[in-house]
Amino acid sequence: MKKILVWDLPVRLGHWLMVGGFALAWATGDSEKWRLVHVFAGSTVMAVAAYRLLWGVVGSRTARFAEFVRGPGQAVAYLKSLLQARPPHYAGHNPAAGLAIVLLLGLALASGASGWLTYQEIGGEWLEEIHEFLTGTMLGVVGVHLLGVLVGSLAHRENLVLAMITGRKLGEPEEAIRGQRFLAALTLLAWTAAAAWWLAR
Amino acid sequence: MKIPVALMLLAASTATWAVTPGQLAEAYASEAATQSPGFRPSARRGAELYARRFAVSDKMPACSACHTDSPVQEGRHAVTGKAIKPLAPRAGAARFSDPAKVEKWFRRNCTEVLGRECSAAEKADFIAFVSEAK
Repeated sequence: MKKILVWDLPVRLGHWLMVGGFALAWATGDSEKWRLVHVFAGSTVMAVAAYRLLWGVVGSRTARFAEFVRGPGQAVAYLKSLLQARPPHYAGHNPAAGLAIVLLLGLALASGASGWLTYQEIGGEWLEEIHEFLTGTMLGVVGVHLLGVLVGSLAHRENLVLAMITGRKLGEPEEAIRGQRFLAALTLLAWTAAAAWWLAR
Repeated sequence: MKIPVALMLLAASTATWAVTPGQLAEAYASEAATQSPGFRPSARRGAELYARRFAVSDKMPACSACHTDSPVQEGRHAVTGKAIKPLAPRAGAARFSDPAKVEKWFRRNCTEVLGRECSAAEKADFIAFVSEAK
């Protein structure tokens, strides 16, 4: 095995935009002074998640849902193999990570939608309660995801955080994706800026 | 009837239990009385608190920054510009009837405007003021 490109630019850029957006939205959630920043940050998370749905169908091979979304059974089996310290190595997402991605994308969209509807004063206080519940749940899944990244990094002796920055992981040469997809990354940036601006008006 | 705030919050978390602003002020007042015996809510002190400018937030220096000089008027969010329903219960809105909601907004807004949480005495005074406001 050698270092190969597995995460294209839209995947990495989208990932870190969601990280920044979620962190900022969480930090400003209780503040009226930062209300516009909160709405813009949350809208960014929602816009990136929506783009990721499309990219999960038409994106690079490792970005496609069909490539990494497995049932909960396989996720549990993978976690068990981690505990037994002999986990199979995946060049792309492992089944547990795949489950985390689906959950995080779903929560990002649901939390974003409930927050946006609350901000627009469509829907009542119950929606605000739901928004708070969903973001709390999302923070929980983020925590589990981080724990998984730590355990996975140790188990495979591979820095998975660095991999999400450089896009490179250990794998067989034929598992590599073809390119960075610069144009799609630019589209992601333009879409996110436009969608977040429109949503936060 | 005097109902402790903690009991109200418990009830509010398990069921929708509407209270009157008077009951809520009484509950805060009895909590405040444990610290300073003989405490009575004062609309005058509440009015002072409402109008006082704190050097904490430049955009939101006082309650009145968003809620205007009178709690019977419709307010305006100092940052988003969105309309805020009047705080005064007599202005029609279901104000100060949901203990959990009242606690949530005292916690959030006091922290932001005063730079600290409000005391039970301040909350009792505040509710006395907005309830009497005309």
